[in-house]
Amino acid sequence: MCFIMYLIFILFCLKDWVAVASNPSPYFAAFGWLVSCCSMGWWGFWLGHGGPFLSLVLFLIYLGGMLVVFAYSAALAAEPYPEAWGSWPVVVHMVVYMVGVVLAFVVFGGVWYESSWVSVDELGEFSVFRGDAGGVALMYSSGGWMLIISGWVLLLTLFVVLELTRGLSRGALRAV
Amino acid sequence: MTPSHFAFTSAFMLGLTGLALHRYHLLSALLCLEGMMLSLFIALSLWTLQLDSTCFSASPMLLLAFSACEASAGLALLVATARTHGTDHLQSLNLLQC
Repeated sequence: MCFIMYLIFILFCLKDWVAVASNPSPYFAAFGWLVSCCSMGWWGFWLGHGGPFLSLVLFLIYLGGMLVVFAYSAALAAEPYPEAWGSWPVVVHMVVYMVGVVLAFVVFGGVWYESSWVSVDELGEFSVFRGDAGGVALMYSSGGWMLIISGWVLLLTLFVVLELTRGLSRGALRAV
Repeated sequence: MTPSHFAFTSAFMLGLTGLALHRYHLLSALLCLEGMMLSLFIALSLWTLQLDSTCFSASPMLLLAFSACEASAGLALLVATARTHGTDHLQSLNLLQC
């Protein structure tokens, strides 16, 4: 299990951030961000730490909402010659970031041993109700005020977005 | 620094350097910002899971709600920039007159 966690962590977790950060065209950056959201690496990471509900929420709610919005907005950032991860400047940036991650791994990874994964379950049994699902349910009882505040913030953001993009004589966008 | 902490810390640093350096498009800068928020989500959920403090596991949810606010405001700025400048290159945002 520890070896699997190391493998997941090295191979799958960080390559997606490198793919986003290495400045490809926004189509491909959005695709890399999508992969980093739903990549098997973080799923294995969360499942290994015993929190399946958080990764499920991230996948269903956050990725489902944000993917539509970012894929729609990629049309505004279109360019005639898009650069994927195969073109040279992006390759140079990817190599630089990969070397940075590997150097940090060499610096910090020397003192790791098997009990560094002390909180990783061995997945001896499958259980539906884990602690994180119960903890999220607290948001509806004793954390109710925070739920109301965040709902209020989301409603406020709706009006912020409407004012930013309205573009007549009032609001933030008066040139159009 | 355990491997879990190394994972989300280096993810955060990758997003931060990608946001700070050599961006062409506003949209890819926003994507790097989203990656940073995602690594913060991972950090908060690891806090919950490693310390077995399940009462804390509502906070990654609230962080996701606030990062949805941040993403929507950033994308609204992207739409506004595309309407005034016709493009979203960060170079053209330095112009004093459209």
